[in-house]
Amino acid sequence: MKTRLPVSIALFLFASLAFAQTKVSLKDPVGDDNGPGSYTYPTDPVYKPGSFDMTSFEVEEKKGEVVFRVGIRVPVEDPWDSKSWGGNGFSLQFIQVYIDTKPDSGFCEGLPGLNIRFKEGQCYEKVVLISPQPKERLQSEVQQKAGKLKEAVVIPKVTRARGKVIEAVVDANELGALGKGTGFQVVMQSNEGYPDSKDLLTRKVNEYAGQHRFGGGSDYDCDPHVMDIIVPPGKGGKGEVEAQHKVLAFTCDPNNPDASPKVELPMVYP
Amino acid sequence: MCVFVFIEDEAFSDSKNFDFAGKIYTKWLYRNNDTQGILSLGNPFWPDDIAGDNGVGSEFELKVFGRPSKFVEAYARIQSRFGELWQDWWESGERKYGDEVNTSGDSLGMNRASYMKLRGTYVRAILPFSKTWRNTVTVGSSDLGMFNPWTIGKVRFIDRDNGKGVFIYGLVSNIGLSYDLAAIALPKLYVGPWWSTGIGDPELARPFYSQDWAYGAKLTYSPRWGSIAVISTLTNDVEVDITDPDAVGSPYAQCKDSLGNPIIGCSKDYAVDYHTRYMNSVSTLEVTLNPESIPLIANGLFGISLQRLDKRLTANGVALNQGISPIVYKDTESYAVRVRLEATDLGTDGFTLKGEYFNIGEDWNSIFGARREADVLLTDGFLGGGQLPTLNLANEFIDFDELFYESCIGWHGGTIIASYETGRFEGSLESTFIWYNTNRQNRDVDFTYPDFLHSEGYTDTDLYDYANTTDRGRDPRSVYRRNQDRRTWIEVLKLKYGLDLLKGADISLKSKFIFDKDYRSHKKVDDDYTGLIAQSRLAFGIGLYRGLRAEVGGQFDYWREDNRKGTLEQGYGDDRTYKGKGFFGLTWEYEGLKFRYYFEYVYKDQHREREPDQLFKVFRSKASLEVAW
Repeated sequence: MKTRLPVSIALFLFASLAFAQTKVSLKDPVGDDNGPGSYTYPTDPVYKPGSFDMTSFEVEEKKGEVVFRVGIRVPVEDPWDSKSWGGNGFSLQFIQVYIDTKPDSGFCEGLPGLNIRFKEGQCYEKVVLISPQPKERLQSEVQQKAGKLKEAVVIPKVTRARGKVIEAVVDANELGALGKGTGFQVVMQSNEGYPDSKDLLTRKVNEYAGQHRFGGGSDYDCDPHVMDIIVPPGKGGKGEVEAQHKVLAFTCDPNNPDASPKVELPMVYP
Repeated sequence: MCVFVFIEDEAFSDSKNFDFAGKIYTKWLYRNNDTQGILSLGNPFWPDDIAGDNGVGSEFELKVFGRPSKFVEAYARIQSRFGELWQDWWESGERKYGDEVNTSGDSLGMNRASYMKLRGTYVRAILPFSKTWRNTVTVGSSDLGMFNPWTIGKVRFIDRDNGKGVFIYGLVSNIGLSYDLAAIALPKLYVGPWWSTGIGDPELARPFYSQDWAYGAKLTYSPRWGSIAVISTLTNDVEVDITDPDAVGSPYAQCKDSLGNPIIGCSKDYAVDYHTRYMNSVSTLEVTLNPESIPLIANGLFGISLQRLDKRLTANGVALNQGISPIVYKDTESYAVRVRLEATDLGTDGFTLKGEYFNIGEDWNSIFGARREADVLLTDGFLGGGQLPTLNLANEFIDFDELFYESCIGWHGGTIIASYETGRFEGSLESTFIWYNTNRQNRDVDFTYPDFLHSEGYTDTDLYDYANTTDRGRDPRSVYRRNQDRRTWIEVLKLKYGLDLLKGADISLKSKFIFDKDYRSHKKVDDDYTGLIAQSRLAFGIGLYRGLRAEVGGQFDYWREDNRKGTLEQGYGDDRTYKGKGFFGLTWEYEGLKFRYYFEYVYKDQHREREPDQLFKVFRSKASLEVAW
């Protein structure tokens, strides 16, 4: 034990160093902002086509800070004037970055409102909330709704948007050890300022789209409320569209739809 | 891929077809003056009885959603009338004693009785003609957000359910094509000459407003490289042909002239003819190029605006209303062009360059365009709110902490904004130059172009009053002057830096410099206006505890205005304004409760050459508590 601990520390430091020196960069196919393949955007005109179509994901550690950048297919807009309510310069998107830093540990249940789980062995220790909402609102919602998962939640100290990129800055020490073997899953959702009582600022997916509801899913909570994710290998190939549809395909139990098994998402290990 | 096991006509369970949402909102407003009410700036035209600077009141909102089937959705919102002070206690809505305010509880009327009012309803049905072609028909309330601020604008938040009409939205998903069609009932207040569709117009004995509509059509094509949107709108206010013998009050009801002789060709047919009193048609073409492979966005908007008015059916608001009118009193045609480029992460991550060219014709008007809470130009502008291409702005029904919007009709120029964001640092520098298409000598502001009476001097939005008893400067709608030869240069610097203190802190600075030059009349040189406006605002915000944030800061203004206001005949004066503001704010989000508090002290020292100096010492605060469920 005495000899293994320093070795572990050395490996951890090496892994962290390796991470610090390289930028993780993943791609996501264009046009897969339809969840399991059937999801459609709400009908209100603020939800412009492509607004939830993630195209890239980058993680970069610099000077004790970790920067997350999520590329969107179209310019990121702010139709609800987020600055007027203390927000971060965009309105529509809500991105959750799930991070698996340790094998065989962590939380497997997604945050409330998404109806997702993570595969056994690919659960997460941290989840970074990249939201237009001010920190105070996020802190309050997490406290109310996340239950034990709040231990994993990291609220960035800076969140902003420019062009076709949404960016968040997090203190590296809040994330623990990021290094080789760290897994990521990026979930694209929509910011809902008036969410359902149990949902953590997420927008629902119904069977038919409404003014502010996604369509193509179910009116019950058996469907994943997720528009876009990254899937292995995270290179943006056409096969990843099909893989995403397969991962997010859901089944509703006709006798008790809300108790249907949740879809299981994989981590991507760059 | 999805497995649906529902039967198509399965009934929804109770919990799925019916839903409620509620909200209670309370506002406190205080200032060291003697007005009573809970709204800083009320309606400048129809005197309201809720505006005032000292009071506290609450409102309750209930939204009901129904889904009789998967394809049909219904909505209603009822909300209590805002305006009852807590001190009003038992006001019943009665006005038993006329206009005498007394302690009876029967004296202040419905506005002070918190009555519940139906604010909006809609029924929406989805008509899926095929898997790829879907139509949604909405009958009832809409915020009109489907068009754009240039044409039919999204209505301001407090009016979000007041607009009603029939709306069709269609989507052909496999080819990226969507369309909107709308027929919208015109508000009898605010859209049209005299801010109405006839009511209050001195020219009309019997205003007819129940067939006044706006029509809109939008076609959007959204391929992967960008989008193309074409919008065409028509605002049409009709009045009854009073010469029609079937019209009530017609002088020819008997088909006889004033001498009693029969009018040839005149006969009753129990049908009344209409004439268009006012028509405004605005169309835009907007193209966005968004190449996938490079971080560049290009956007171009081209618009035309057309106005027709029947002078027999609308009196001249320019001549008869002291130049305060939302329209130019003549038929007009005009144009607008806006081209925008944005390149992100240029050379290094976080460096962004934005450029914009804008050119809005001097006769442009969008009578039904956005009135506030929208912005069509990149620049911070003069007032820091937004710029909108209409004379029909709404800087009313707002509190002292809300933004002002300004008209950009006639603006011609460009903006460049360079910004850099890295880690906890954000900074940007804006440079804007504005030339004015409205520059002209001897413009007819007596009968044709509205100058809004007060068209000189930098606008003080901190101490604004509609009647301008405090010399607050130019009306934000005033874009026309008798003699103008104006150009403006605006520089805005914004810096923000995050600090690791408690739950996170940041310090921010915004500095604005405006050089505004108007040579006014070419016949004289001693009337030239030179405005040098400098503003700096420094703020420090800190998260104190989970959900709790405080902000403290100050702002300093120095306005050096040569020949600020006056007339050619009487001369002009050089004025200097020194203004300081200290503020403190608190935000607390706690378990579904949202509390906000803001306090400021405004000190203004106005040195005026031709009038007595003015000193303002204003303390004021606003707090709100909101719970939604």
